[in-house]
Amino acid sequence: MRSIRTAVALAAVALLAVLLSACGSSSSSSSGGSSGSEVVGTEGFASPATQSLEGKKGGTLEVLQEGDFEHLDPGIAYYSVDYVVIFATQRPLYSNKPNTASSASPDMASGPPEISSDNKQITVHLREGVKFSPPVNREVTAEDVAYAFQRATNPNVANPYVGAYFKSIEGEPQAEKEGGAKPIKGITTPNKHTIVFKLTEPKAQFVAAALVMPISAAVPKEYAEKYDKNKPSNYASYEVATGPYMIKNNSAGKVLGVGYFPGKSLTLVRNPNWNASTDIRPAYLNETRVKIGGDNAVIGRQVLEGENLVQSEPPTQANIKLAAEKYKSQLMISPGAGSHYIGVNNKSGPFKNENLRKALWAALDRTAMDKARGGQLVTNVMTHWLYPSNDPVWNEVIGFNAAGGIKGPKFDFNEHPEGDMTVATEYMKKAGFPSGKYTGSETVTIVGAKGPPAEQDAEIVNSTLKSLGFNTKFTLVETSTMYAKYCNVPKEEIDVCPSVGWIADFADPQTVLNITFNGKLIVPTGNVNWSQANDPELNKAMTEAESVNGKGARAKAWGEIDTKLVEKAIAVPFDWDKQGNIQGKNVHGVGQLWNVGSWDYSWTSLK
Amino acid sequence: MSFTTGEARPAAETLEFLDAGGEDVAARSPLQLFWRRFRRDRVAVIAGGVVIVLIVIAILAPLVVSILGLPGPNVENLNATDAFGSPLGPSSAHPFGVDQLGEDVASRVIYGTRVSLQVGIIGTAISTLIGVTVGLIAGFYRGWVDTLLSRTVDIVLSIPILLLGIGIGAACSVKGCLGGTIEPGISVIIFLIAFATWPYMARIVRGLVLSLREREFVEASRGLGASNWRIMLREILPNLTAPIIVYATLQIPTNILIEAALSFLGVGIRPPTASWGQMIASATPIFNTAWWYMVFPGIALLITVLAFNLLGDGLRDALNPREAR
Repeated sequence: MRSIRTAVALAAVALLAVLLSACGSSSSSSSGGSSGSEVVGTEGFASPATQSLEGKKGGTLEVLQEGDFEHLDPGIAYYSVDYVVIFATQRPLYSNKPNTASSASPDMASGPPEISSDNKQITVHLREGVKFSPPVNREVTAEDVAYAFQRATNPNVANPYVGAYFKSIEGEPQAEKEGGAKPIKGITTPNKHTIVFKLTEPKAQFVAAALVMPISAAVPKEYAEKYDKNKPSNYASYEVATGPYMIKNNSAGKVLGVGYFPGKSLTLVRNPNWNASTDIRPAYLNETRVKIGGDNAVIGRQVLEGENLVQSEPPTQANIKLAAEKYKSQLMISPGAGSHYIGVNNKSGPFKNENLRKALWAALDRTAMDKARGGQLVTNVMTHWLYPSNDPVWNEVIGFNAAGGIKGPKFDFNEHPEGDMTVATEYMKKAGFPSGKYTGSETVTIVGAKGPPAEQDAEIVNSTLKSLGFNTKFTLVETSTMYAKYCNVPKEEIDVCPSVGWIADFADPQTVLNITFNGKLIVPTGNVNWSQANDPELNKAMTEAESVNGKGARAKAWGEIDTKLVEKAIAVPFDWDKQGNIQGKNVHGVGQLWNVGSWDYSWTSLK
Repeated sequence: MSFTTGEARPAAETLEFLDAGGEDVAARSPLQLFWRRFRRDRVAVIAGGVVIVLIVIAILAPLVVSILGLPGPNVENLNATDAFGSPLGPSSAHPFGVDQLGEDVASRVIYGTRVSLQVGIIGTAISTLIGVTVGLIAGFYRGWVDTLLSRTVDIVLSIPILLLGIGIGAACSVKGCLGGTIEPGISVIIFLIAFATWPYMARIVRGLVLSLREREFVEASRGLGASNWRIMLREILPNLTAPIIVYATLQIPTNILIEAALSFLGVGIRPPTASWGQMIASATPIFNTAWWYMVFPGIALLITVLAFNLLGDGLRDALNPREAR
């Protein structure tokens, strides 16, 4: 549920990451149709889906990244840049192995979640013998997981997704109102190693899938509570680990100024209390040192020509090209890295008219949009919203195949990725403009993001609109400004947000479609329904689909909604992302397929 | 330069008068004298030629692009980029290469001349008008009028133009300010430049007027009953022509650079309008692989600024040969 902020050259902008899981509660769906790699076209390049997970123990990895971390507290972390540290140091109840996007493994849990027949209760048993890192040093219990959820409802912690994914836990809304002062009523711990989630609605499958989010990583109440009383909580400055690594700390547990220097560096060292027999992670590296700062383009070249190095952030387009041409073995391409599309205002302005939206869709050269983003190596022409991965199970469970696969739903305006002015002209006529050109009085306000490739995409959208006869008011602002001040604020009435992005949080289609297109979820600020779509038929379908259980049934229900979104041209899609990541010559980087291919420091090793 | 009551002839003219060897000759006009001195400065003449060429290119940009067989400045052609979407370099079809959208860099450089000269010349003209008016009044009336205007000049000079531009750009970029009256674009850039640079001209003019108002020809005019405005406009202003022309000419390249800087920072000219500063900004992240995208607009900017600077120097030398460089 995170919008993609293309941060290629901009330090302040974080990429939004992915978590996904099926939590093993039911059997995986079979893959159908073509294999993932055929679908998304990464032949000839390493991919997280096909990478070897074997490695050699020892060594120190150096990570270069331009921007700083956003939040290192597992109760707050929500961006991929933070996830790489969180998932090396924390153990949520379930997590994905790096080479799968669709099925989660029990992590802190000892087995799959037990779901009641009425889909209103989830029981999870915890592993025994997992300990917190120093200075806490004691065994993790179910109470620690319950506290992790409780503190997430504390405004001092300000978890960004607890309300969206866990509101059906009994007492969660009340806990939020009370500011996390009391435990959540629906979360109980019948014994030291069992936690039970009682729901008010039959949404157990969806909630269980969401247990891969870092919110479920245990937090010791007696240690963290004093930090959580601060506004904002400064637990991150003293946080303890349950994973194979911990942020280097002192005897009091302080990491700020010891292992983490904001804007400068972060050091991961081995957690002395970690027991390999309780974990799926091999933890090959002895230490990981993250150096923060520098220029993304320079970092990329350093990494390609250096040793023991990886680049944490997405490389520049030029460095992807350089890597593909000269350092092919050091480049990994990760499909399933989300999507980019054009938000067109369904509520006000000319694009209230569905036919005008279809005309824009038909006229837009999506291949040009994708080429501006780096071409076929890092993009696929987007034909609907549920996006593909080269994990074939993902393509089933997410509803990608159900919505028409790579070609998408068959509508004339969706047929020609390179744009078709004839079809566009027809829709302009249907919209009430007999000349085929817009002759209305409204000027289309376009707010795009500065910097490549979003800037180029915005310019293509602007020229496409002009080719349809629209007068435009075209402005480029910083990416963060585009989202926070304009595109995320409905009252600004921006007509076109030319390059907004989205990534699923976990392997469920609801995380892709609901908050982004359900009119009931439009909020005054921080709104991510960028088209301000509020179609009663779609809203109803989405509300009903929320309660559908069973992976196949959910994929079908949401796949049909995806098709409806295309039919009504709620927005205009153009890019299914594939993320490139680069590594040094002697690094065996393991990318997280579920997290836009980000390097996994618990699996990466040195050759 | 105008010679009015009581003003001394320049030494050079006196020498030419003596060199006549007793033959009947007509005295050269100030313009002839200026031209005679100016044309001896080859660098300035070449610079002037370049400026003229730039002005012609700016005015006839569509024709120039058409004659050269180039696509329009906003014609996107992603086929002119490689498989990775990287711009391709100079070729016969695109002599200066293309940018990330496949737009022809040569065509955009040519159209960028329009923006630069528009901003440079119009911005300078407005700032000169304001600056001369304020300087003339402050220097002539002195007293509280001078104090008021001079302090105003000091205040305006303390406003950093780039920060002001960035502020306006940030605050007014999408919806505009003052009910949409202020919106980033060429008119706001021109306003900003005029607003920020008129005090320099005002200071120069004020200083000159303080000196000129005490000269005999002004006294004579006053003795003949001329009004203050007449003295200012008919006696003093003509004697300011040379320094005004010189300073204005030198201000043009400064203003072009300000526009380029504002566009580079993303608060100047809006895309897709071609602007050299904006092109250089867009080229920065890909300079390593697409040098042409930065180099050609950079060269255009360099040549333009250099030409105006050298022209300004030449004009100064020709209009006021006694002033040492």
